[in-house]
Amino acid sequence: MADAAIHGHEHHDERGFFTRWFMSTNHKDIGILYLFTAGVVGFISVLFTVYMRLELMNPGVQYMCLEGARFIADEAATCTPNGHLWNVMITYHGVLMMFFVVIPALFGGFGNYLMPLQIGAPDMAFPRMNNLSFWMYVAGTALGVASMLTPGGDGQLGSGVGWVLYPPLSTNEAGMSMDLAIFAVHLSGASSILGAINMITTFLNMRTPGMTLHKVPLFAWSIFVTAWLILLALPVLAGAITMLLTDRNFGTTFFDPAGGGDPILYQHILWFFGHPEVYIIVIPAFGIISQVISTFSKKPIFGYLPMVYAMVAIGVLGFVVWAHHMYTVGMSVTQQSYFMLATMVIAVPTGIKIFSWIATMWGGSIEFKTPMLWAFGFLFLFTVGGVTGIVLSQAPVDRAYHDTYYVIAHFHYVMSLGAVFGIFAGIYFWFGKMSGREYPEWAGKLHFWAMFIGANLTFFPQHFLGRQGMPRRYIDYPEAYAYWNHVSSLGAFLSFASFLFFIGIVFYSLLWGKKITQNNYWNEYADTLEWTLPCPPPEHTFEQLPKREDWDHAHGH
Amino acid sequence: MRGFFLTRPALPWTQPRRSKQSPMPYEWLPPQNGETHLHLWTYRSLPRRGMVWFLSITISLIALPLAALIGTMALWGLLPFLLAAIAGIWWALNRSFRDGEILEDLTLSETELTLTHHGRKGVQTWAANPHWVRIILHASSGPVPNYLTLQGGPREVELGAFLSPAERLQLRAELQDALQRHR
Repeated sequence: MADAAIHGHEHHDERGFFTRWFMSTNHKDIGILYLFTAGVVGFISVLFTVYMRLELMNPGVQYMCLEGARFIADEAATCTPNGHLWNVMITYHGVLMMFFVVIPALFGGFGNYLMPLQIGAPDMAFPRMNNLSFWMYVAGTALGVASMLTPGGDGQLGSGVGWVLYPPLSTNEAGMSMDLAIFAVHLSGASSILGAINMITTFLNMRTPGMTLHKVPLFAWSIFVTAWLILLALPVLAGAITMLLTDRNFGTTFFDPAGGGDPILYQHILWFFGHPEVYIIVIPAFGIISQVISTFSKKPIFGYLPMVYAMVAIGVLGFVVWAHHMYTVGMSVTQQSYFMLATMVIAVPTGIKIFSWIATMWGGSIEFKTPMLWAFGFLFLFTVGGVTGIVLSQAPVDRAYHDTYYVIAHFHYVMSLGAVFGIFAGIYFWFGKMSGREYPEWAGKLHFWAMFIGANLTFFPQHFLGRQGMPRRYIDYPEAYAYWNHVSSLGAFLSFASFLFFIGIVFYSLLWGKKITQNNYWNEYADTLEWTLPCPPPEHTFEQLPKREDWDHAHGH
Repeated sequence: MRGFFLTRPALPWTQPRRSKQSPMPYEWLPPQNGETHLHLWTYRSLPRRGMVWFLSITISLIALPLAALIGTMALWGLLPFLLAAIAGIWWALNRSFRDGEILEDLTLSETELTLTHHGRKGVQTWAANPHWVRIILHASSGPVPNYLTLQGGPREVELGAFLSPAERLQLRAELQDALQRHR
């Protein structure tokens, strides 16, 4: 028995700033760190896209010039197109978003903050490893940025290989930049794997007594499924990029035909990771949307068990469909048919979820607060993106659409208007809980409408461009594509303006927002354990187990 | 690696049948030789069998890309990472079980009350004469509500700090009864 400790336990937070924020072992603080860092990195990535859309606004190359990149077009001075700079922009936009923004925000940020609270655990299973995951993520980001500023191909800085790093381009890219990019992805992958191990152990082994797996809230479930996908997919990516590294530096020929290797092998291994990766990105958003929709429809989620198993099914099925990213590389018709049919099957559990969300709202009392607006937006726009995914899943159709703007439109609808809307829904939903301050409701709504209109203006016309045959990853295009490119760029600027406005909302609210006094500032249908805590929650939560009545509400199950 | 696979240590929470109502994580054992034993342990939400299920499904799925690469050199490029990931989650789940393997064993006989605490810091023991043992319930001045301590021995020790407050309240009543019977 430990010796008695009766001297009382009024805990004063004596941590200094450095200890609290740089040596944190507190899941809530680490979640906040992830959210802010992901926001900063997202801002950098969005800057790249604004520059790209600026370039694509009019035919011809006006900004990315070999003579020196410009931000103001100057017709008097010649501009020799700098294809490498364009390639670098698209590469790092992709790398930053795919590895360093959305997953850290959703999985690292909301996952760390809320999953332990929702299952009534005092912290993650391995708090110090949690901190390690965060700082490895920061180190990976730093390496990624360093890679962009290091000598690479074409005698310039940065690697222009696309975020998927296909060989032979990536194995032959000159300079150190590519190797630094590989290390950046290694670090991000290791960070995610350790985080996933932490989340899985916590979710499985630290649930409060009585909380069987079929009583766990949907957001916590979504984090568990995501963690499991990360555990399965990221090691495969690590293997693939390590083989790229050895091909580049140690004379191996995994992907070099001259030595008996095959570049298409890399594509198979990469997309074995790459397809689960996109589900890793979106499944936490599913969890957030479930919580938001049920709260603002004042109804429990329709069909809890089907929702859980639909997420699991999406996760499992996501592993067996990867080659739908590779229809044009020369696989046999039989192989293509299999992947086509398997991909179409994923629409079934996804459809179950969409219909369940609609059924949740049916007959409910809907309140159009800001988080609900984002959830509505998610529902509609993720569906639009999903159906263009079904179109792309058809191999013969993809023959025409592969590597065109149709693909770009599809994945930006599901990721940019899906996962990102989920992030915003989560931010507005839990803003008061995490900070203790209110955001101005009118501002949240304005942000939503500006982003909704802007993002749709940006990406919807790209379907037309794709159908007209405009290829992706090109710095310029023929005159015939000018109109929709112009519209798309205007949409991009509106979206960017809305993002700047959002940054303003966050800082205003954190510094001067109205303080919140109740634990649950929404309604009684926000019934997961985090709503029983003060806003913001104290440093230590659930060191004693929560009472069963606090979370086991019979309705809905 | 003993105990790494499926050998189950004979500790109370690894008994095969555990009621879904999740009984109190303490148990009075039937008296033998005039001694009464009380075991207390921490709650863990994952049964060992569940860990086996989880790992089996994970290993079969992660073996898919390996199967696809049989015959190529790339299999070796992938293998170390997959093994490292599986080893990582296996170790982590075991470590989490070990972190929870606190067992408090209270033995009550006519002449002696001993308390043995098996935990991360090893085994700690405490012994006292039952006549002098006092059970103190600290409603709010301890690290947890209804903090239970025993006095009467070389030092004051805590009991069942990992239980819930309601369980400690009930435990205290039962412990008082047991002490009365032995006096």
